[in-house]
Amino acid sequence: MLEVLFIGLSLGSILLLVALGLAITYGAMGVINMAHGEMVMVGAYVTVLSGLWFGTDIFIAIPLAFIVTALLGLLIERVVVRKLYGRLLDTLLATWGIAILIQQAVRLEFGLSFLGIHIQGLGPGLQNVSVPDILQGTFRFAGADINRYRAFIILVTAMLAIATWFVIYRTVAGTQVRAIIRNPKMAAACGIDVTRVNALTFAFGSGLAGVAGVMMSGFKTVFPDMGTSMVVDGFLVVVMGGVGSLLGSVLSAGILGEINGLVAAATNDILARAVVFGVVIAIIVLKPKGLFALKGR
Amino acid sequence: MMSKRRIDWAIYAAFIVLIMLVPLIMDSFWLNRLAKYLVFGMLGIAVALSWGYAGILNLGQGLFFGAGAYMLAMSLKLASSTSLQQGSDKPVPDFMLWNAEPGAKTELCCINKASFLWLPFQSQWFGVAMGLILPVAIAFVLGSIVFRKRIAGVFVSIITLALVLLVRLVMIDAQPVTNGFNGLTDLGWFKLGGFEFDPYVVPTYYLIAVSLSVVLIAARLLVETRAGVILQAIRDDQNRARYLGFDVPAYQTFFFAVSALIAGFAGMLYVIVSEFASPTFMDLSFSITMVVWAAVGGRASILGACIGAILINMISATVSETEGFAEAWKAIIGLIFVLVVLYMPRGIAGLAHDLIDRFITRRPSTPAPAVRVNDPSSQPAE
Repeated sequence: MLEVLFIGLSLGSILLLVALGLAITYGAMGVINMAHGEMVMVGAYVTVLSGLWFGTDIFIAIPLAFIVTALLGLLIERVVVRKLYGRLLDTLLATWGIAILIQQAVRLEFGLSFLGIHIQGLGPGLQNVSVPDILQGTFRFAGADINRYRAFIILVTAMLAIATWFVIYRTVAGTQVRAIIRNPKMAAACGIDVTRVNALTFAFGSGLAGVAGVMMSGFKTVFPDMGTSMVVDGFLVVVMGGVGSLLGSVLSAGILGEINGLVAAATNDILARAVVFGVVIAIIVLKPKGLFALKGR
Repeated sequence: MMSKRRIDWAIYAAFIVLIMLVPLIMDSFWLNRLAKYLVFGMLGIAVALSWGYAGILNLGQGLFFGAGAYMLAMSLKLASSTSLQQGSDKPVPDFMLWNAEPGAKTELCCINKASFLWLPFQSQWFGVAMGLILPVAIAFVLGSIVFRKRIAGVFVSIITLALVLLVRLVMIDAQPVTNGFNGLTDLGWFKLGGFEFDPYVVPTYYLIAVSLSVVLIAARLLVETRAGVILQAIRDDQNRARYLGFDVPAYQTFFFAVSALIAGFAGMLYVIVSEFASPTFMDLSFSITMVVWAAVGGRASILGACIGAILINMISATVSETEGFAEAWKAIIGLIFVLVVLYMPRGIAGLAHDLIDRFITRRPSTPAPAVRVNDPSSQPAE
């Protein structure tokens, strides 16, 4: 039983890993970033490429992926998203286009494959990342066999969630972000540089997705389309938790992860995912603002 | 001088004449392809109705398409020769036999636990009726719940999206009845009064083309009715429409169901020309792709969305003939999409309308008032 609960917890932490960045970009900025899954994918490829070229391991890839995806996020915000603030559904559509672009860029090796140049580690094929020895195998904890890598994911997710909480609730920039969540115009009137803060927020959210990608690469095959289903799961977590509520995202990721784990143990993975979708639909219908909505807006 | 409305109808007429004349120049292979794209055009109409006119961005339109497709495909599967050559005089889908438990009775009633669901589909017209009824019923129930609860904007999109993915998973999981991932293949031909619609003959193309024309005109007439105008008022300001005394959820549900009906109809026609139904119809990417077609063609124009769907698919098909270019074309589609959303939110139809305005007024045109692209969810909550 403990093992099942642990698997649920690790599924939940994976959900949260993807949802954290979305909670920030969607909650704070009102941008539905469908390219978020592609940020995860880029993060995973950073792990693959850094391993192939520099022989570095997954620990080095974490900061590296954060930087790469944050810069990519900054670029996307500057070029596209900035023009679409206040047009929620249009951000969804435009970022879907961006998602396709990023996928194809990886698949076509930035177009170089047409010239016959191939970059090792890119392209349409499947890539795998080898996990360092220290994270392989299992250890015994309270009478249950715990997979080391899953435990590592939970640890990293917890650290990222705490870091995000700290940034949002304990720093000046975070206070500004929260002011913008509440009321962007009022925030601007109070002297907050909304465009700058938005750009940085978007970059931060994208960077978190990059780290999620590094973690994914350790136990999933890496390929150009890997992000599409993740972004959906991430959104369901954020919407169920309540837009703009970090705590809500954490709890809903935990709930959905446990439901997924328990149902999967009882039946199969496909039905488990179906049940998760059903729960999310029911909750959105019953509480459209999510479990932990901001009040007083 | 022609009125704008007359020009609009003239363009509709020209489009219909054009698709009717195509068989004169195309061979049967391309005609079959074009028939599929006309079906996608019908999906464009469905998206334009719910998104452009009702302001409901349904990211699960594939659910209705898939429902229509599967219902007819079940009937056509039973009519297929593969279902009759199994040593029984009553049809049984071949995949059920492959997976049957040893010793199971090879009849539709009891070959496996849920196979009895297939029994009524021995009649083709039951499949046709269900293909229309099921999407409408789903849309009606969903719409009644969602719109009565005043759920709007992105939340509707997320609910529809989650629902289509849920149904897709259930369909895959119910392998004994639905053939799971593989879907229903080797279907028989649709029959109408003794005539068999071989997907590669001209009459089948006309079945699709006439259906599309009827749907196109009906949808256009529908949005010009009083209900259609009220619907647009609801899209632009839901609260004001409510204060004026209109039963907002009733209008939204009605048009949501009409959109579902069109999508389900399109699903059935697609099965007739493509001879298969599969869970890929309910993939997220397919539902979003439909929205892309409508956005490029013009989300607030019924004909625009239809033409957008046909054009994008025609170009894709042509380009994909060149090997290696198909992947690059996908990237170009992504780019086009970003550019359309950023700089041309009214799509091809918007451009066309600007040109017509210029033509009518015959003076340096003033920029046409931009269509409202901000969605209701971005407005302050009630």
